[in-house]
Amino acid sequence: MTLATIQAPHGPVFEFLVLFSVILIGPVVFTRFRLPGLIGLLLGGFAIGPHGLGLIGAGNHTVPELGHLGLLYLMFVAGLELDLLVLRAYGRAAVLLGLLAFSIPFSAGLASGWALGWSLPAMCLLGALLSSHTLITYPTLRNAGFGGHPAVATAVGATVLTDVLALVVLAVVAGTQTGSGSPALIVGEIALGFVVLVVVGLLALPRAVDAFLRQFGGDRVTRYVVIVVALLLMSVLAEVFGIEGIVGAFFAGLALNRLVPNEGPSMERVEFFGAAVFVPVFVVSIGLLLDPAVMLTGETLGLAAIICAAALGGKAAACWLSGRILGFSRPENAAMYVLTVPQAAATLAVTLIGFEIGLFGTHVVNAVLVLILVTIVFAAVLAERVVKWLPSRAGHRPPLGAKVLVVAPVGGPSESAIRAATRLARPDGGHSDVLITCTPQDGRPDSATLRAVEQRLSRHGLDGHVRTDASDVGDALARSLLTADPSVVIVDDPAYNTTPIGVPVLVVRESGSPRVIFDDRDGLAAEIARRLA
Amino acid sequence: MSRATSAVACLAAVALTCCCACSAKESAAGASFKSATPGALRVATAFLPAPGFWEGRPPTRGFEAGLAIALAHKLGLERVEVVQVPFAQIVQGKLRGADIAISQLTPTDERKKHVDFSDAYLSSPPGVLLRNGVNAIDVHELQRLRWVVSSASTLTPTVTHRIRPDRDPIVVVDRSQALRVLREGRAEALLLDLPVALGLARAQPQLFHVAAQLDGEEDLAAALPRGSPNDEVVDTEIRALIADGTVSRLASHWLGKSAEEIPLILTEQS
Repeated sequence: MTLATIQAPHGPVFEFLVLFSVILIGPVVFTRFRLPGLIGLLLGGFAIGPHGLGLIGAGNHTVPELGHLGLLYLMFVAGLELDLLVLRAYGRAAVLLGLLAFSIPFSAGLASGWALGWSLPAMCLLGALLSSHTLITYPTLRNAGFGGHPAVATAVGATVLTDVLALVVLAVVAGTQTGSGSPALIVGEIALGFVVLVVVGLLALPRAVDAFLRQFGGDRVTRYVVIVVALLLMSVLAEVFGIEGIVGAFFAGLALNRLVPNEGPSMERVEFFGAAVFVPVFVVSIGLLLDPAVMLTGETLGLAAIICAAALGGKAAACWLSGRILGFSRPENAAMYVLTVPQAAATLAVTLIGFEIGLFGTHVVNAVLVLILVTIVFAAVLAERVVKWLPSRAGHRPPLGAKVLVVAPVGGPSESAIRAATRLARPDGGHSDVLITCTPQDGRPDSATLRAVEQRLSRHGLDGHVRTDASDVGDALARSLLTADPSVVIVDDPAYNTTPIGVPVLVVRESGSPRVIFDDRDGLAAEIARRLA
Repeated sequence: MSRATSAVACLAAVALTCCCACSAKESAAGASFKSATPGALRVATAFLPAPGFWEGRPPTRGFEAGLAIALAHKLGLERVEVVQVPFAQIVQGKLRGADIAISQLTPTDERKKHVDFSDAYLSSPPGVLLRNGVNAIDVHELQRLRWVVSSASTLTPTVTHRIRPDRDPIVVVDRSQALRVLREGRAEALLLDLPVALGLARAQPQLFHVAAQLDGEEDLAAALPRGSPNDEVVDTEIRALIADGTVSRLASHWLGKSAEEIPLILTEQS
């Protein structure tokens, strides 16, 4: 190598280095200042973009295309993470809040667009982006023990409705703007597309993926790739009917919601790749659009003020009105508000698509970025206070099948134990972990044995971790009750006969029905018997 | 809240959106175009005629002619006025009073000092235009050809550094002279923006064909006078024309083959 070959870094490898450096450094720096990492990614995207240091040029296709995949992934995970049980339990309240949290900000968006003299499609898109919301503050409330609180559950359930309605508006507006047929034909195509998405997404796809995972899902890579293929398949299917791919991605998330339990290993992998690569790349790709020369103008800041007022005011009105009708207290109204006010995923999606189809210009995009920054910071700060205002909910139990723990001997769980775990977990969309106990005489099972157990679980449609504990059943179970907090335990040892505190235990026998031992104050024995029947 | 109420509310929202979305000819959010000539979009272009891009007298046919008309329509303007301006002047920002230049322009850092570029309307990797009777399927065969290059072209370094012909290329001043050299048979190969090469091959199939494209991320974009107040609205409407399929239809009609149909030859990046 001669000095003549030394040159300034350039090309795709350098661009990826720059991109992932931002993904690494941006959130680290901003979380140190107690600000959401998302803002670090947005500002990092600006720093490396054409309006910043120019390390990623305006003509770069790679980052925006990878970002588009990230957008699909983001909407997919939003559908996947939604707790459908909560939606069912608080359905009526969620529908009420969902309709109000959609219609009031949507109307505020229409009014704002009309006042600004925008075209009707642009007004509708503004309404759609203001009416959606992202559950960014949900982890704060969940970690404080309010995941099952009626107000929190209502807001989580309402998210399904608001986001679906916002995506319906997006699909119709984008379809009519980009289609080449008559408006009636295009709306007809979109309506047909939604029917196909619902039928495929809620009926055919879950069954097909379940069958595939039972057959081939023993391999972790295969499980993950099947999930990604399902996501892309639904996105392409949506696009075939002139509906934006993110709508299909969201439906794919809903379709696989039960098959990928929120705390199972498959979800961990989905979230890992989403958090490490896809979603940050999407946010950075949005940051590339950030232009201070545009953002810091009076026109953009004025626009940002209007849409911030419409979003914050619209969501406040919706939560207050819902709270009045549902009889919630002020802290509970505030809890709904901090969950429904943050604008991120769907807002970015709608904005980006509005930009791509020529309904929004760079002023609007930059104003929406201001909106996102304002709502996220505001909600994050308020959420920390809300968890102190809400009364504690000691004694709240998770659903029976939310987290099933199977305690098995060194050879792995029996078929009847796995069958019982499947029947308990499936109705609640829960997952099952297996704890293999072993004595010093048995020796720890090797990795091949553990993989074989994982594959057997997979064939039964279960998605769970397999762990070992070198002690007897009683000690291992006592430790797990403290650390894993299962909702129900299945002991694959007919000799076990200890009554634990606060959790139902099923003792699987070689023949006959399992023996249930626990203090049945909540009447769970009947529910267990019904599921196992 | 009953199911019926929920369903009615959803349908009302969708119906309202449909009604709104169907009125398509208004300008987008915050968009307004300030035209130099009332009611007209004044367009500067360098090459007249440019096969596939600007054809006819007056030049109303071709990909970029169609794009200009569609853009004017989107901007609410009644007509397009075309002014011919030398390419060197366009990239120096001298548009002779035109609102916009649409002239197979590739944005470069140097050119950005003099003009504002719009969002790209067409992907434009380097395309290899060959005389009929010769062909090339890899970089070694490209090296054996006799090349002509234009000193004004941004693609000349690609020929000299990435293709590295066995013989020194013939150097001319501009594209017109390069095409003359190619027609006369003094050279066999010319590197052009792929859409330009496709337009030429479609217009003169008895003389030329496009043998390959090279890897590259170049695009074609319109240019506006530096600091033009129309940057945002032009960007927005170009994205709208891409999204609604207008650009694809124009490219398919006037340029014939699409980039996906042209073989890719990988070269060493300089």
